[in-house]
Amino acid sequence: MFTNYLKVAYRNLIRHKGFSFLNIAGLALGLTACLLIGLFVFDELQYDKFLPNGDRVYRVYTQGTTSESPESMASVPPMFATTMKQEFPEVEQSMRILMYSAISLLEVGDKKLYIENGLIADSTFFDIFPLPFKYGSAAQALDAPASVVLAEDVAKRFFGDENPVGKELKMNKQTLLVKGVIQNNQSKFHLKVNYVIPLSAAEIPAERMSSWGWQQFYTYVRVKPDTDIKQTQAKLQDYITQKVQPLMPKDDPIGFVPYLQPLQDIYLHSANFKFDTGPRGNITYVKALSIIAVFILLIACFNFVNLATAKSVQRAKEVGIRKTIGASQQQLMLQFLIETVLLTFISVVISVVLASLLLPALNDFTGKDMSFNLLTNPVVFLLLVVLTLVVGLIAGFYPALVLSGFKPVKVLKSTVVSEGMFGRVQWLRHGLIVIQFSLTIFLLISATVVFLQVNYLHTKDLGFNREQIMFFPMRGDNMNRSYETFKNELAQGPGISSVSIGYGFPGDAVAGDQIIVPKDGEQKLHSTTHLMVDYDYIKTLGLELVNGRNFSKELTTDKSQAYIINETAVKEFGLGTPQQAIGKTLIWQRLGPSQPDSVKKGQVIGVVKDFHYKSLYDKVEPAVLHIHPDDYWKVAVKMKGENISQSVAHVKDVWGKFSPDYPIEYKFLDENFDQMYKAEDKLKSLLWIFTGVAIFVGCLGLFGLATYAAERRKKEIGIRKVLGADVSTIVGLLSKEFVKLVVVAAVIAFPIAWLVMRKWLEDFAYRIDIPLWVFVAAGVAAALVAFLTISYQAIKAATTNPIKNLRTE
Amino acid sequence: MIQIENLEKVYRTEEVETKALNKVSLVVNDGEFVAIMGPSGCGKSTLLNIIGLLDEPDGGSIKFAGTEIAHYNERKRADLRKRNLGFVFQSFNLIEELTVLENVELPLIYLGVGAAERKQKVEKVLEKMQIMHRRNHFPQQLSGGQQQRVAVARAVINAPRLILADEPTGNLDSSNGNEVMELLTELNEAGTTIIMVTHSEHDARYAHRVIRLLDGEVVMENVHKQFTV
Repeated sequence: MFTNYLKVAYRNLIRHKGFSFLNIAGLALGLTACLLIGLFVFDELQYDKFLPNGDRVYRVYTQGTTSESPESMASVPPMFATTMKQEFPEVEQSMRILMYSAISLLEVGDKKLYIENGLIADSTFFDIFPLPFKYGSAAQALDAPASVVLAEDVAKRFFGDENPVGKELKMNKQTLLVKGVIQNNQSKFHLKVNYVIPLSAAEIPAERMSSWGWQQFYTYVRVKPDTDIKQTQAKLQDYITQKVQPLMPKDDPIGFVPYLQPLQDIYLHSANFKFDTGPRGNITYVKALSIIAVFILLIACFNFVNLATAKSVQRAKEVGIRKTIGASQQQLMLQFLIETVLLTFISVVISVVLASLLLPALNDFTGKDMSFNLLTNPVVFLLLVVLTLVVGLIAGFYPALVLSGFKPVKVLKSTVVSEGMFGRVQWLRHGLIVIQFSLTIFLLISATVVFLQVNYLHTKDLGFNREQIMFFPMRGDNMNRSYETFKNELAQGPGISSVSIGYGFPGDAVAGDQIIVPKDGEQKLHSTTHLMVDYDYIKTLGLELVNGRNFSKELTTDKSQAYIINETAVKEFGLGTPQQAIGKTLIWQRLGPSQPDSVKKGQVIGVVKDFHYKSLYDKVEPAVLHIHPDDYWKVAVKMKGENISQSVAHVKDVWGKFSPDYPIEYKFLDENFDQMYKAEDKLKSLLWIFTGVAIFVGCLGLFGLATYAAERRKKEIGIRKVLGADVSTIVGLLSKEFVKLVVVAAVIAFPIAWLVMRKWLEDFAYRIDIPLWVFVAAGVAAALVAFLTISYQAIKAATTNPIKNLRTE
Repeated sequence: MIQIENLEKVYRTEEVETKALNKVSLVVNDGEFVAIMGPSGCGKSTLLNIIGLLDEPDGGSIKFAGTEIAHYNERKRADLRKRNLGFVFQSFNLIEELTVLENVELPLIYLGVGAAERKQKVEKVLEKMQIMHRRNHFPQQLSGGQQQRVAVARAVINAPRLILADEPTGNLDSSNGNEVMELLTELNEAGTTIIMVTHSEHDARYAHRVIRLLDGEVVMENVHKQFTV
């Protein structure tokens, strides 16, 4: 019996080539998209799963309590690790990593390379994260201060293939002993590790290490098995309010609540954390892609159901005969399900081939290293079998039910089987088309909104000019000591319009601290961004002064007693208008109230228009600009853009004069900014690609349906033509039905798309308003695509000689 | 074999109610060859479909070999059909995706007969119907007469007790039609009961008895030939 089913299935496949092609192509494309998305999502979910006992490791983070929308901070004060290890019996081990994003110069012999992503960590680092070692061992690797553990490819760059354990290496001119090499393939680790040096090497004063306010450490704890982590978290929060808060000075209370984040959540659930480090995914985008995959698969399955029920007219006779002969409904259902599963199987095979071919491109695009090998991975194989069966059964069940339910008398007696016999099928088909188009229109709107927002992120006026600004950190004692001469020499180069040295450039790290605003006899504390600038900062970035004046070298007091603030600071500090703000006093206690020498008391001399020094995810915060050479570190060189390469060559020359031992490593400021929106850029591209796939798959189905609609109504068309209808009337007649469905779909999709996209946009402090035309355009585009797809069949039907159609009856 | 009493069938559309069968009663004996005649719309096909369990009556009783079957469920109907009934249609109703051999074999597959036995049976029937040489052709490749011979072969493959023929010669020329009628007669002589719906007086003469229907009622019975059990 089985062979008979397969035989009929195969012959049907061959006989109705067009139908089979539509079905298989649609399903194969949909499945390919799903497979690729599935691989991506699976890969994203693998982070930190490889670490032994990783399920017992948690990261401590805090949420601010002062502002309305509390921000999560990835870095916490050093005392958390100490306290939790000592006072919480369920905590087995704790570990801190110093938040420090500098790039170090590593040297072995003549080889000098800047290496990013070095970690400065407690010696328990490899206890918490038991990364596999290639050379040496984790035990005692970080015990001595002058130690370093290298990542395998970093070790290779300096030592080739030999074992470097026991050899020396210079880091920023200090000698360290290589204690071990960790294996590569840590691609699923939430931290990027090129080397690890012990925290003891940083020589941080003990006083600082006992701080509850210095949020400078990524802190991890491992708890004992079967620990109720909710309880531990509650205990920790109580500890802060009951034991720590009383110790704090009145004017500087603890402004946060601590939380424990499971290790395996860090990668995907920290997208909006402040001061985080390492590669991060975004659960929103993972979810969005998963939903899109389901959408595409649904659209492909619906095609299947629609085409199969439309074609059922042709199969009706066969059903009648088989039933007459004695086939039961179950046997017929089985037959049709086998046919669907066979079609699905073919689609799956094609999609596996397609996905394998496209995977390198996806890897390239996502920077991943995914593979799926059917032979080596039984899970993937099993999943594909399950997928075939599930899709085959879902898509095949309803058509099988309808087909096997035909009454033989009806289908055998009438020479023409009319659609009217299956009224509910018509309804279902229309329902499915509406859902398909709703999904398509939803995707179209989402893709357009994401496109507009991403475009806005890249092109919004940021309040400063980010074009042609070369940007790099200073290196070496000589350069740092004589930064003024360095700056002057840079400025004299060809095509260089100005140079600024400071700390706190847009797109780069900025410092944050409190500032005191004396008001009505009271001293009010405000959290503020501190931009440590020089006299040319405003000119170099092209900031706009709305009131007051710029810093001036001629006025010696500007260095020690002057502040320029942004408009938000004027508002937040309650200084009235920008004009009224001029002359107001601000106080910065750099090392706290106990060190009066470090206090900088000065007046506001100018107000700059708000500018975006962070990404557009963040609201512009109050910012204070002041001259503070102690923190000078980064250099911004503004070029005129006439001959950039000449200007860059000049900068390199000057660099060589001041710091010949260090190679220069530079970027352009706009690159920094564009980097911030990489995730959104990718989302944008992926959305367009998959929306395209969804539309195409949907169109394949619509094309098939239009074919059958034209077929079904050919007698009607013939009669209408004999009575004098012209081609456009006929095309209109056939298209009207489908276009009506698109309109219904649009009505359903619009509000959902609006709600979802508004939610997505809420993550951005600066965002577009969703314009009305997006909806109109998506609706019109969907209707147009539907119309074009149908019109081919409609025109064909309308231009056929009517006599031919009438005679075939 | 078949006992029908007061059989009723009503077709309803939104506005019109048509009585296709109005209290029809008749008996068909084992081994009998009965022709049902009447003008178009008289209810003869409806009667045949109800006897063949392809349709359900709205009232009355129908017994097959003494068992009431009017309200059999779908599963029982399918079972009775595949074991006891064979169908021959005017439009042949062969499955276009299957070859001659596969079409004839199909009832045996549904009966769960093993492959070897199937092959043997099918070949025997095809030989008998003189269609063996075309066993691997598809229905579209055959003439009308050949197609109907295949349909008859398929109807008899499971050795049914009753063959229901719905205008079996309606789509055939007279020589092919006579051939099919001869085939049916042979089957009847071998013991199979046959009920045939026809328009053709010529074909009806092959039957032992003719039942004439008009507007859903039996109006006359003629006996052509002597029939003895």
